[in-house]
Order: sequence, then structure tokens, then C-alpha cells
Amino acid sequence: MVDAPKRGSVVVPVESTPTLRATVTHLVESAAGGEFSSIHFVVFATWRRDDPDTADREAAVDRLLERVATWAEADLADVDDVEVGDVEVVTAIVGDDEYLFGADDYVRELAAYADEHDAETVVLDPEYTPVGNTTLLQPLEFALSSTDLAVREAPVTRPTRRERLRKEATGIRFAATFALSLAFYLALGDPLYWFDLASGVASAAVVAITLSRISLDADPSLSRTPIRLLRGAVYVPALLYEILKSNVVVARVILDPRMPIDPTLNRVRVIVGSGLPITTLANSITLTPGTLTVRARDGNLYVHSLIPWARDGLFDGSLERWTRFVFYGREAARLPTPRERDDVGIFQGPDATEEYPGTRADGGSIPEESTREDSPDAPAADGPVADAAASNAPAADGDEEVTAE
Amino acid sequence: MIDALGPARLALIVVFSLLGLFFTFVSMTGVIRLPDVYSRAHTASQADTLGAGFTLAAVALAAGWEGTGFKAVLLVFFIFVTNPTAAHAIARAAFEEGTVPWTEGDERR
Repeated sequence: MVDAPKRGSVVVPVESTPTLRATVTHLVESAAGGEFSSIHFVVFATWRRDDPDTADREAAVDRLLERVATWAEADLADVDDVEVGDVEVVTAIVGDDEYLFGADDYVRELAAYADEHDAETVVLDPEYTPVGNTTLLQPLEFALSSTDLAVREAPVTRPTRRERLRKEATGIRFAATFALSLAFYLALGDPLYWFDLASGVASAAVVAITLSRISLDADPSLSRTPIRLLRGAVYVPALLYEILKSNVVVARVILDPRMPIDPTLNRVRVIVGSGLPITTLANSITLTPGTLTVRARDGNLYVHSLIPWARDGLFDGSLERWTRFVFYGREAARLPTPRERDDVGIFQGPDATEEYPGTRADGGSIPEESTREDSPDAPAADGPVADAAASNAPAADGDEEVTAE
Repeated sequence: MIDALGPARLALIVVFSLLGLFFTFVSMTGVIRLPDVYSRAHTASQADTLGAGFTLAAVALAAGWEGTGFKAVLLVFFIFVTNPTAAHAIARAAFEEGTVPWTEGDERR
């Protein structure tokens, strides 16, 4: 073709949506019209390559990509003014070397892929949400706007088959959410009283309609769910013991007149899957006093710790091993601690190992550096001396602040 | 009703109630004393989880296994799921806003 050099590649993240078929057609037509020379259909992996139990998910994704490739070929054959060989159709799985938690992660993987294949455009299926579960995260479009990629949505409308397809896609999840909500409602109410039954069915329906696509990111599996529940029942007492132990330690720190706290923000790269496993782990970390999950990003959990003792416990990773036990079994729970894997970082304080991530309010006027410099008590010294001097001013009752080891 | 309970059970109920009170007190103290939003989120959710947990355990013991006691146990589970979620939401919002956690030497906020 004459204008071949101008034409670039386009990356299209796909999942099984009602509008996927039309999106494929739209892309092939655009390519035939001279806009693109190659179309990359990519799927974000929801697993890590070496996870147990991922064969079925991989197979499902392979089937999806195969289907997309077949559709694209058929559409290319339908277009008259283009040779099939002129447009290249590529399918790929991206991100199976780590867990992707949120829009940030997806966009990073997508940008890396586009860079690798000289693609400058991303076309989104209008029904596309990464892995089907992430209405709680910032939308992908928003996160994409921070990259150099040109983004547009495929101008396609939902086919009339949509209702049927949707039900097929979410029927089991809907039923599971409905049953669980109803069971909880009736356990609190009276299952034999007609009013509780009727209002329970109505409430459970509302919950299932609004939340089944959010709270379950995969169909619950009859073979795996019961064993996970059993392992969870083992985990609960262990977690309760951890909570009790940490609570006593933290209570002592809070009631201590000197209040020897040393809070820092930390990073720990965890090896658990996205969705329910990472939620369980993050919630368990937050439940354990002294540690508080602030963000999940890039496969990392950002955890705020109140005292060094809690931070050490976090870096020893016992909750991570428990979570892996609950979701993947005893074999998977045997892994080195995050500290041994070198998957940890401290963002603040004298032991800091890494730059503070993210933004600081007011362009950096609040952060510790400037506070120290502005403080009249702090001499023009760096490091521990300035630390000690500045800490005397605000902490009236703290002449003997206990520092971290 | 109290007469119907055995002395051991009654003692346990009292102990649990007192523990619940204690941890709620710690939680309140923490919210007042700790220096910033992150550390307050720790104590507001955590000590309170145990405070409410022990109190509800006392309720469950007093009410017996059928009816109210069973509901109390369910409520404990409910709190254990929702409480950290709320704490995380607060901490995450603060982080997104660019609030840097307090470290030794900063002023209280």
C-alpha cells in the first residue's frame, strides 16, 4: 500500500463482552480503511505463570483469543478492498509475570506492550472493564490519559443478544451472591416469618443485581470453594490469636505516657492473586493492630505501621503465608518471607530504604524535610541530630522518645 | 435471668464485658493521643474491633446459643469484615490526597 509507512499498530485489550464481536469488526474496518497495519488483541492475565490451579483460566483466555482471531480473519475476508495479508492480527496475553491489582497496573502493562510493538493507539471496547470486576477502581480510561497513547472507544452499540449473553456470563455469580445475602438476612431474621422471607428476597435481589459483578471476579467453583472455606475456618482462630496479641502490644504503647510510637509507611510485595485473595490479605493486615493497608499498587501493598514491632511482623509475612494456604493450599504456603525475598521497603524514618511514593500535599510544603528546616528548634544539621531536636518541640511529654532499633 | 446462669458463665460474661470496655477505652485514648490521620485510623478500627468483639462475645454468652447469641456471633464477623475496610478507605483517601504520614519530629495534626 502507498501509505504503508504512516500506518501504525493498535492495541486492543479484550475480554468476553457483548460488544466484543462488534469491536473486532470495527477494528478490522479501520485497518482496512488504512488506519492501522496491525491489530494486537491482548488479554490481561489474572494469574501468575507459576500459580497452581490456573490451567483452566489460561485455557479460557486462549479460547477467547482464538475466537477473536477467527472473527478478525472472517471480517478481513469480508472486506473487499484489502488483501488479508495487508493487515496483521496478533493476539497476546500480557502481565502473567505478576499480579495486576488496579487500573495503574493494567495501564503500565499496556503501555509497555504498546512500546514494544510500536503501537500508538489504544482502542477500547465500550463494555470493557479489566477482568470484569473493577468498578471500585479508577476507570481505565482515566489512568490511560496519563500516557502518550492515543485512546478512543470503539463506536459500537450493544447487540440485541446482549441480555442473554449477560445472563450467561454472570448467572452463577448472581445466584451465589443472592444465596449468600439471603442466608445472612434470614439468619439474622426469622426464616419462617413471611415478612422476613419477602423482604429478604427483595434485599438479596438488590444486592445481587448491584454487586454480583463486583464482589465475585470469577465464577465460584464447586470443587475449590468448600476446601477454601474449610481452610478459612482454620485460618480464623489463627487470625484471632494474632489480633489479640497485637492488640495487647498496641494498647500498651497507646496507654504508655511516653507513647513510644514510630510510624512509617512501608512497602511489601506480596505473592497472592488479585481479587478475593489480595482483599483477604489486606483486610487481615488492617485487622491486626499496628499495621494498616493504605494502597495496593504494582503488586505491592503499601502498609502503614505504628511501631517497629508491627512492621517486623509484617515483613515476616505470616499473614501472607496464611492467605496462600487458604486460597492455594499447604504447598503454596511454603515460601520465603518477604524480607528474605527482598520484597520489602521502608519509605520513612531513619531506616528508610526507598523514596516516598506518590504525591505530597501542597507541592511539598507539609513534608518532614521542610517542617524540619522551618522549625526554629532545629539547627542546620542533618539526620539524627535534627530529628532529635525537632521531636522535642511538638512532643511535650516525650523527652525520651524511643527510636527504632 | 442472671440467676439462671452458672457462676462460671457469669464470671466469663463479666470478664468479657470488662475487656470490651478496656479495649474501647484504649481505642478512644488512641484517637485523642495519636498524631495523625493514619495512626488514628489504626486505633479507631482496631482496638474497637476487639472492644466490640469482646462485648458481643459477652452478649452471646449471656443470651445463649440460640437466637440472640447466634446473631451476636454473626455481628462479630460482620464487624471484622467491615471495620478494616472502613479503615483502609480512610487511609487510602488520605494517601490519595497527598497526606504524608506523621513521623517522629513532625508536628501533631
